[in-house]
Amino acid sequence: MGIAEMIETIVKIGFIIGLTIGFFAPMLAWVERKQSAVMQDRIGANRADFFGFTVIGLLHSLADAIKLIFKEDFIPRGAERALHTLAPVIAVIPSLIAFAVIPFGGKYTLWGHEVNLVIADLDVGVLYVFAISSLATYGVVIAGWASNNNWSLLGGLRASAQMFSYEVAMGLTVIGLIMFYQSLSMVDIVAKQDNFFHWGIIWHWPAFVLFLACAVAENKRVPFDAPEAEAELVAGYFTEYSGMKFVMFWTAEFIEMVTIAGLCVALFFGGHHVPFITDAELAGGFSFLGPNVSNLVAMLIGVGVFIFKLVALLILQMTIRWTMPRFRYDQIMKLGWKMILPLSLTWIFIVGVGILTGVMPSP
Amino acid sequence: MTDSSRDYDFYVESHTEPMVINMGPSHPATHGTVKFLLGLDGETIKDIDVEIGYLHRGFEKECEAQLWNGVFPYTDRLDYTASALNNIGYALAVEKLIGIEVPERCKYIRVIIGELARMSGHYTNLGASALELGALTAFIYFVEARELVWDIIESVCGARLTHNYVRIGGVISDLPDGFRENVTSVFRTNRGLWADFNKLLTKNRIFLDRMRDTGAISSDDAIEWGFTGPCLRACGVGYDVRKANPYLIYDQLDFEIPVGETGDNFDRYLVRMEELNQSMRIVEQCLERIPGGPINVDNPQWRQPSKDDIFTEMESMIFHFKNAIEGVKVPAGEAYQAVEGANGEVGFYLVSNGGGKPVKCRVRPPCFPMTSALPLIIKGSLLADLIPTFDMINLIGGECDR
Amino acid sequence: MAITVKKVDRNVTMTLWERSYIPEMTRGMIITMKHFVVNLAGLALEVVGGKRHRKIMTIYYPEENPVIPPAYRGRPALVRAENGQEKCVACGLCEVACPPRCISIVGGERENGERYPVSYTLDGSRCIFCGLCEEACPKEAIVMSHDWKNLCEHDRSKMIYDKETLLYPERNLKKRLNVIREKYFNAKLYHKPSEKD
Repeated sequence: MGIAEMIETIVKIGFIIGLTIGFFAPMLAWVERKQSAVMQDRIGANRADFFGFTVIGLLHSLADAIKLIFKEDFIPRGAERALHTLAPVIAVIPSLIAFAVIPFGGKYTLWGHEVNLVIADLDVGVLYVFAISSLATYGVVIAGWASNNNWSLLGGLRASAQMFSYEVAMGLTVIGLIMFYQSLSMVDIVAKQDNFFHWGIIWHWPAFVLFLACAVAENKRVPFDAPEAEAELVAGYFTEYSGMKFVMFWTAEFIEMVTIAGLCVALFFGGHHVPFITDAELAGGFSFLGPNVSNLVAMLIGVGVFIFKLVALLILQMTIRWTMPRFRYDQIMKLGWKMILPLSLTWIFIVGVGILTGVMPSP
Repeated sequence: MTDSSRDYDFYVESHTEPMVINMGPSHPATHGTVKFLLGLDGETIKDIDVEIGYLHRGFEKECEAQLWNGVFPYTDRLDYTASALNNIGYALAVEKLIGIEVPERCKYIRVIIGELARMSGHYTNLGASALELGALTAFIYFVEARELVWDIIESVCGARLTHNYVRIGGVISDLPDGFRENVTSVFRTNRGLWADFNKLLTKNRIFLDRMRDTGAISSDDAIEWGFTGPCLRACGVGYDVRKANPYLIYDQLDFEIPVGETGDNFDRYLVRMEELNQSMRIVEQCLERIPGGPINVDNPQWRQPSKDDIFTEMESMIFHFKNAIEGVKVPAGEAYQAVEGANGEVGFYLVSNGGGKPVKCRVRPPCFPMTSALPLIIKGSLLADLIPTFDMINLIGGECDR
Repeated sequence: MAITVKKVDRNVTMTLWERSYIPEMTRGMIITMKHFVVNLAGLALEVVGGKRHRKIMTIYYPEENPVIPPAYRGRPALVRAENGQEKCVACGLCEVACPPRCISIVGGERENGERYPVSYTLDGSRCIFCGLCEEACPKEAIVMSHDWKNLCEHDRSKMIYDKETLLYPERNLKKRLNVIREKYFNAKLYHKPSEKD
């Protein structure tokens, strides 16, 4: 690996970390407050100010960060100290590194150097995502066990059962997609969606619905938030967490939301592609700027489109969260095993038949 | 090693025991301060012990130290989500003891305020149960509706939560100007919010699965345990004090009693939702028919005279001083009067020895019998079912613990 | 009289399509998004036009204040008459009527023989704002003012209000005095037929 690739990779990692932790995590905290507030005929948090400027409540994320950093890090008596500290780290890391294989742009040639806007172009990118996301279960289970609290234990148990079962269903929902695009590489899947009529959502919208349900269940947000249901289990597995450890669970949730949205964009919504315009046409439109600059402009537009789609899907997730009541725990399991799993198997069968008979032309 | 010839007892063989867990008194779901001591087998509730009394304030003893009129602020704090209904219950009980009847207009005003208070109680209950099931937006919509109702109540009696509006032989003030227009516009908004709430939850399958067939009780059991109010009507028993023993002007009004079928949480929810509509109907009818006339009994012995009279007439002044210092001299005897509270039958049993203070003021709180039946309802179901059941039972700490 | 019973419809029938959660979710999201868009537009209009044009229920509290109706019961206040003296004659009726016993009066006599309260103490930490003192007062000397702000303290001893804190000039309490005169427990008030409410 040359020094140029190294720098390129570091820049891309920096971009992703900046985008998720630096931008989306505090922004989502703000959006969650403000969107829900406006939705519920309220105003929302707007009191944190800096010399009189409230910036419509944006400073609350900053104020929260400052408050939580200085908060006492409380470890209950009888808790497993090492595991109690380790659990939030285990929870936050997988959600972050899953982003490595999600392409946030295409391949562009800039000044003789080919830039591929994905951190790691793995051939088994989809499998990698599932492998990593299953690791997140450990953080939750360990947190529930190590807290030495009955509510935490119940939350951890619920979380582990829920996350394991939905992993199976989630894996199966995208099998049809993999058959359709004939690739496990995320970059390939995105590249094959340059035609609007090859987008995943056009051919595989039932898979999208199932995938989104599974992904939200993996992330344990309403309506699948039985593991942390505040009315039942106080706060579930992170009842005994405070300060920065609590923030890590909380950030993990938000980053995972971004990851889910990124996955959906890459798999179903054509990644960085603008509908009806291929990358070459997009760059061609700016050819009067010269080949390099036109490619750069196309790249920026591509990343912008990706982020736009990301935000749209995030708002969809937020709206679901503020609209739905919560499932009961056994109903979640029933839904996963008795509804989503058979449906996704059926969908695989339908896609197979479609591809064999030529109804679903594989791009 | 297990011997196949004898019965295999899982609990003995695996050396497991139920997980004993304290739910409350400071658990998010146990609003109104109550404690459940749960024995859990996995997620199933094997054993439950309901501990009440965290909000005990000695209401009944406190009343014995107050003048007859001074009890009203304390009745506010029984069912604080619908405090005017408690005021009305107590006032009717005292009036029964005295044997007076309030003027017609006063009856209408009492019904209007009572029904508004009932609406606020139902809004609180339904919204809170939506909140505990995770539907925060629906909760806020009903809180909004409740705030609007409270705005009306505030414009009449000066307080939002502890109304302290009714007095022996009357009410403290007449309806303000523009009351009818106010109510009309608020009801228009509230019907819209009701429709939104209804659409968000009633046909939502997640909500249906949580509510339907959970926490059911048969009508026989319900009557045996002393259920009243929406929880009894959900079992299919059409018992409502307003219809069974009409007081005030309820016998002249046209309204229906919603009843359910099986007595589960969903029936309770639907009954309450429908009662909101019926309450609006009652208020609208009352506003159409309300006559003019005095709002208080014209007898300074029971209801203090107006300020003008106190300033100008010697007799009124004397009566006022006597009543204010010694209290209304309620004739000796005892009386029980029940009214339909937001939660069920609120009964006041009063004993007087002819003095200015009650000798005994006993309250029949509607949620006490229902809370005591909670173990019967909930044993054997899941931990998550406890939440909607407890919400629909609607324990109000101030009323249950007194 | 027969009890008119209305059976609630608990058997909500759902088609297979409705059982798939999707239509309900969509409908719910349409409702919440409708509120969102309407409120957002209202907020934006307010920023642009300055006129309060929104369905939002809450208010920016310290900047905006809720509208207090004339009948509102705030902290009790003593009325200071036009001549600068309190109207109170220290008769002690409010002391007796007060359910939590938060009022204590020491009465005295002026040179001209008028009674007046030498000290009038109201324990704000015990007051329940019930308005019975106002009802009992034969001189309209104590009324429920519209004071509701800054009544909380960290120290209970600061909540014991003395006579000087409670005294308000009569013109400041005109609104409330009118309410008492016109509406408040007026036994002989007959409803004027022209007024409809």
